[in-house]
Amino acid sequence: MSPPPESAWYPVARSDDAAFRHVHQAKLLGRELAVWRADDGFVNVWENRCLHRGVRLSVGMNEGMELKCLYHGWRYANRTGGCTYIPAHPADSPARTICNATFPALERYGLVWTCLDGDIDFAPVDLLEGGGSFPLRALPFAAPPELVRRHLPAGDDHAGEDGTPRWFVQPVDADACVVYGVLTDTPAPDRRIAVLRRHARRLEDLRAEVEEIAATLPRPAPLVAAMEQADVPVDIGGPARTVGGTDQRVVVARKWETAAEVVAFELAPIDEPLPTVQPGAHIDVRLPNGSTRQYSLTNPAGDQARYVIAVKREPDSRGGSIHLHDEVHEGDELVISAPRNNFGLRRDAVETTLIAGGIGITPLLSMAETLAADGLPFVLHCFVRSADHLCFSERLDGLGDAVVRHIGLDPAGTAAQIRRALGAHRVARHVYICGPGPMLDAARRVAGEIGWPDEAVHFEYFANPNEIDRSNGFEISLARSGLTLEVPAGQSILEVLRANGVGLISSCEQGACGTCIVDVIDGDPIHHDVFLNATERAAGDRIVTCVSRSASGRLVLDL
Amino acid sequence: MDASDQRCTDPTVLDLWHPLVAVSEMATDNVERTLLLGFEIMYGTDRDGTRFAVRVDEPDEALPVLDRHGYLWTSLGAPPADVFTIPETAEPDRRTLNAASIKVATSAPRAIENFLDMGHFPYVHTDYLGVEPHTEVAEYRVEIENDELWARDCFFYQPMAAASAVGGQLSEYTYRVPHPYCVMLYKSSPTDPSRSDVIGLFVQAMTQDTIRAHNFLSVIDETSSDTVLRRFQQIIFSQDKPILENQFPTRLPLDPRVETPIRADRSAIVYRRWLTELGLAYAVIPAG
Amino acid sequence: MITLYDYDLSVNCYKQRLLMSLLDVDYESVPVDFFPGWEHKSEAFRKINPLGHIPVLVDGDYVLRDAHAILVYLAAKYDPSGRWYPTDDPELLGEVAQWMLFAEGTTNTASAARLHDNLGYEFDVDTLRAGAHRLFRVLDEHLWFREQEAGPDGPAWVAAAPHPTVADLAIFPDVMLSEEGGISRLDYPALRRWTDRVRRLDRFVLMPGIHPVSAERPGPGPMAAGRS
Repeated sequence: MSPPPESAWYPVARSDDAAFRHVHQAKLLGRELAVWRADDGFVNVWENRCLHRGVRLSVGMNEGMELKCLYHGWRYANRTGGCTYIPAHPADSPARTICNATFPALERYGLVWTCLDGDIDFAPVDLLEGGGSFPLRALPFAAPPELVRRHLPAGDDHAGEDGTPRWFVQPVDADACVVYGVLTDTPAPDRRIAVLRRHARRLEDLRAEVEEIAATLPRPAPLVAAMEQADVPVDIGGPARTVGGTDQRVVVARKWETAAEVVAFELAPIDEPLPTVQPGAHIDVRLPNGSTRQYSLTNPAGDQARYVIAVKREPDSRGGSIHLHDEVHEGDELVISAPRNNFGLRRDAVETTLIAGGIGITPLLSMAETLAADGLPFVLHCFVRSADHLCFSERLDGLGDAVVRHIGLDPAGTAAQIRRALGAHRVARHVYICGPGPMLDAARRVAGEIGWPDEAVHFEYFANPNEIDRSNGFEISLARSGLTLEVPAGQSILEVLRANGVGLISSCEQGACGTCIVDVIDGDPIHHDVFLNATERAAGDRIVTCVSRSASGRLVLDL
Repeated sequence: MDASDQRCTDPTVLDLWHPLVAVSEMATDNVERTLLLGFEIMYGTDRDGTRFAVRVDEPDEALPVLDRHGYLWTSLGAPPADVFTIPETAEPDRRTLNAASIKVATSAPRAIENFLDMGHFPYVHTDYLGVEPHTEVAEYRVEIENDELWARDCFFYQPMAAASAVGGQLSEYTYRVPHPYCVMLYKSSPTDPSRSDVIGLFVQAMTQDTIRAHNFLSVIDETSSDTVLRRFQQIIFSQDKPILENQFPTRLPLDPRVETPIRADRSAIVYRRWLTELGLAYAVIPAG
Repeated sequence: MITLYDYDLSVNCYKQRLLMSLLDVDYESVPVDFFPGWEHKSEAFRKINPLGHIPVLVDGDYVLRDAHAILVYLAAKYDPSGRWYPTDDPELLGEVAQWMLFAEGTTNTASAARLHDNLGYEFDVDTLRAGAHRLFRVLDEHLWFREQEAGPDGPAWVAAAPHPTVADLAIFPDVMLSEEGGISRLDYPALRRWTDRVRRLDRFVLMPGIHPVSAERPGPGPMAAGRS
């Protein structure tokens, strides 16, 4: 039995089809693909379908590091396809489960290759030994791939003074394919166009011949690609390729002193690509000494080949920072969690003000670079003790006039500058503040004094990562398994179940899709979802576990 | 026009009234052909002014017809006594007209769901019904009442909400889905904010994957010409068209997990559940 | 003042709106109830254009019909750079004229198929679609070689010039709206990249059905700092 066609690698574009800020539409074995190159050079091969409402991503916009869907402006990150922003809910961080289906992509011989079954290693056809590679014009054929393969010239039939093309066929559908020719020898620059034209002409003659034959044959039924299942939720406990949510190993690819007492680490993936970064997100770093520390990612949205964090030496701390400074070196491995985001960036502000104190720059740098890439107006104020305490100065320089450096101010001077930076509040202005506790308190106080409403003032205490309470805690009993678990303030039922190994499937994680519904046997749910209707709410016998909570001290669930 | 493999067998849909054509666009003593639910239909007006419709494959059996809201309606099954009512159209100073009947390569429920959606305004109807950065969809209410879906308290910032609008405004919408393939919205009239303009989309499901969308307008506007009123609505609908024609699958999946909804999609969530409860199977992918 | 007898959903009217926007020429749009009113076939409208079609351009006392003729007139009269209709370069001008005739072909196939699919015009749509695909194949190959000749950073337009001409505008909406006529552009990657380039022109305007493309370079970027 021959292997299924999905378990092979095929070209789906010439490398230059994935042009700058373009989204290339392709089709392989009846399945449509959106192929786009990010500004960091990475070529993405995705299912050509936004998982929200099924709109083709190839009509969307290549924004450089993110792909933006035409329909609702949802943004998806380069490399992972994870959702980074949902404009209808600008204050929310999209759930990690919201991730488009992606396929592996490789560039070889001037072509972009992919494989629909991502577990197959790229087996480079016995290719083009020795020479370079010069891809010819790719030609679509309205004919079955097998028929075309049979008619492609073998060996020297097609040889000429510029060599024999090696042919590759992209099976588009049952009755269509694209033929790619690659020469091993790159012609001299002045002969390039002539060589391309000659081969194009020959291939067109062949196409005319084959299409004439195809027209006499019965038309094969089109291949119908199964609707992509990646957006049907997967059990979080299973090997969830796109969902993430578990720890992973990384290697310290680079370690350098970015400012006085501050060391930056560039963390590269070992097994799996790194999960999607949203501006403002942080990770847990599990240290070899057994402790865990949280660090903000400085990466802007979509720029996530490697995570970059910064660690300040805190002599008074429990030793995490000292360990990272002194004991962890380039080439060492660390274990990190998937990113979480409690400090999400709205991208609907008319103006955004970012206020960083010292090492508090880290999440704000991620925000600043994201806003700059989006062309959204912002100012980043950096408060530091001295000029050599300024982290990532080259990246700050790259932001040009948008960065204001405040050096060596005392608390009163800092407060005065913050007051000036904020100015009077106007509609759709937002401020994000991160820094040491006293400065943060001062900034919040100043903002309040000059009339900034709470919902426009966003902050993260980097030394004291208290999460904002969603409501009070309660207890859940699982009737079938006999477990009793505490749901503390700030955690959802779903999160508690997962943390305790109860694998419940979920999808939107904002109470809209109804995937994580559980039957309630006893207790009084408070419904925060939009899925259940009025009757179901009143009945109180079902609960959407990602958002809803309990009015009673205890909920008994049918789990 | 062979669509025999698309012929509807779903009694829920067969028993509905379906719009065929704007009466104002029917010529006397003339027969036209169209598709409805995969069946070829002939319709027209007799010399004595009587409207009629028949299936081409059963030309001797007259189909029921009604002239309502400016359209000719028919049914291929056992329809209810009447088409849903639109009380506003009885107001004497209102102008009720068909803005255009446009064919689209999509399913009827996809078109309805798009009509119910506010989140796309800044992206698809840029500078008309929305504009960045005003992208937030505030919470709104959705209920099923008397077998109709109603969405209320829907607010959205709109730079140019109607043909007669001058400057941006925070518009309040009420949506009403009185029929699985028909939808309306009520929004305060720019010329008389105490009353509502009514804009409807009455969808003729030609097949499961192709529709003719009848754009219904009933507005309070003494100054704009018919051409200007139609123009605005045609622009809006034609902006939606490439979205609808780039959606996959074409038929609406009713399983809420197949396409990731968010809170802003509440009306779509309720609409999909409502279709499931109705047992509707034509032009949808039923929940598994 | 220029007056354009106009219909928002017409590709041929859009060609004029697009060029006048690119040239920053003011005009007044007079909406014609093309559909469902068939106003362009009315007695009154036939006094403006006896052929009963749009667009019609009125510039003072001068009245001109036919989309591609109007493009020629507008470019020749209102483009001081002389690029859009390059009258002082005979070879280039000949090429522009050649592709303007090609555009008659795309309009009469691809855009006619769109009228069939959207508005129910009774055309033999299979023949129209096949004709459009034949033309798109030719244009895709032409543009692909123009890209290869221009190099990775060189702009590649329909005519052999480093700038667009009226030929690009005459063809653009027929291509961009082809899917509304059931004509997929899946097989024409060079054609798709060229539609990006057209949509990135300064002062480009959309028409319903034509969607925007991302900016090629990042936007205006950070706001001026140091607000006081």
